[in-house]
Amino acid sequence: MTDFPAAPGCAAELSSHAAWDAGDTGCGELLLELRFRMAALRAGERLRLVARDPGAIEDMPAWCRLTGHKLIHADHPQYLIERRSEP
Amino acid sequence: MSKRFCVSLTYAKNDPDKATVAFVVANAAVASDKETLVFLSTEGVRLGVKGYADDIHEQGFAPLRELMANFVKAGGKIFVCSPCFKKRGLDETKVVDGAVVVGGAKLVEFLSEGSPCVSY
Repeated sequence: MTDFPAAPGCAAELSSHAAWDAGDTGCGELLLELRFRMAALRAGERLRLVARDPGAIEDMPAWCRLTGHKLIHADHPQYLIERRSEP
Repeated sequence: MSKRFCVSLTYAKNDPDKATVAFVVANAAVASDKETLVFLSTEGVRLGVKGYADDIHEQGFAPLRELMANFVKAGGKIFVCSPCFKKRGLDETKVVDGAVVVGGAKLVEFLSEGSPCVSY
């Protein structure tokens, strides 16, 4: 499990196995690195993500729909994503 | 929903902004588990030559060389238009890693099997 500093009441209260602060990175650069990081997890494990790019608000739900990963919690700029089972 | 995605790019240093954004979008597609193709034609073929993109770095984006390398590393394909390449006298032995010089049939084949395409 990974500790991750966050504001009270945010996604940090939910457990995660990895964390990544993507800073201001957005669009394809963010998604490609996120893909690699999710691939490093096992099915059911969660990544806590901080993505400050304003596009992430719409992109994170869309990316999860496309890839099958589960968006457990979204409270921009914090996101909690659960790795999918292998297809 | 299509499993494929194509990005058509016709610019190089004559519009580094477009060249960069095309690969950013291509990276978004490949990161979203799409079989992704970047088709380089007309001036865009210059990006298919090793070293050409090394000094392209648009503000607010990663260097283009890095975007291209990450795209290929993630499984993306780059097709380089053969007649466009030859017309410019470029060296087919110095094509960037992951790129293939192709004729139109390869593009037609990829798109005909069902793929959206965005053009820059």
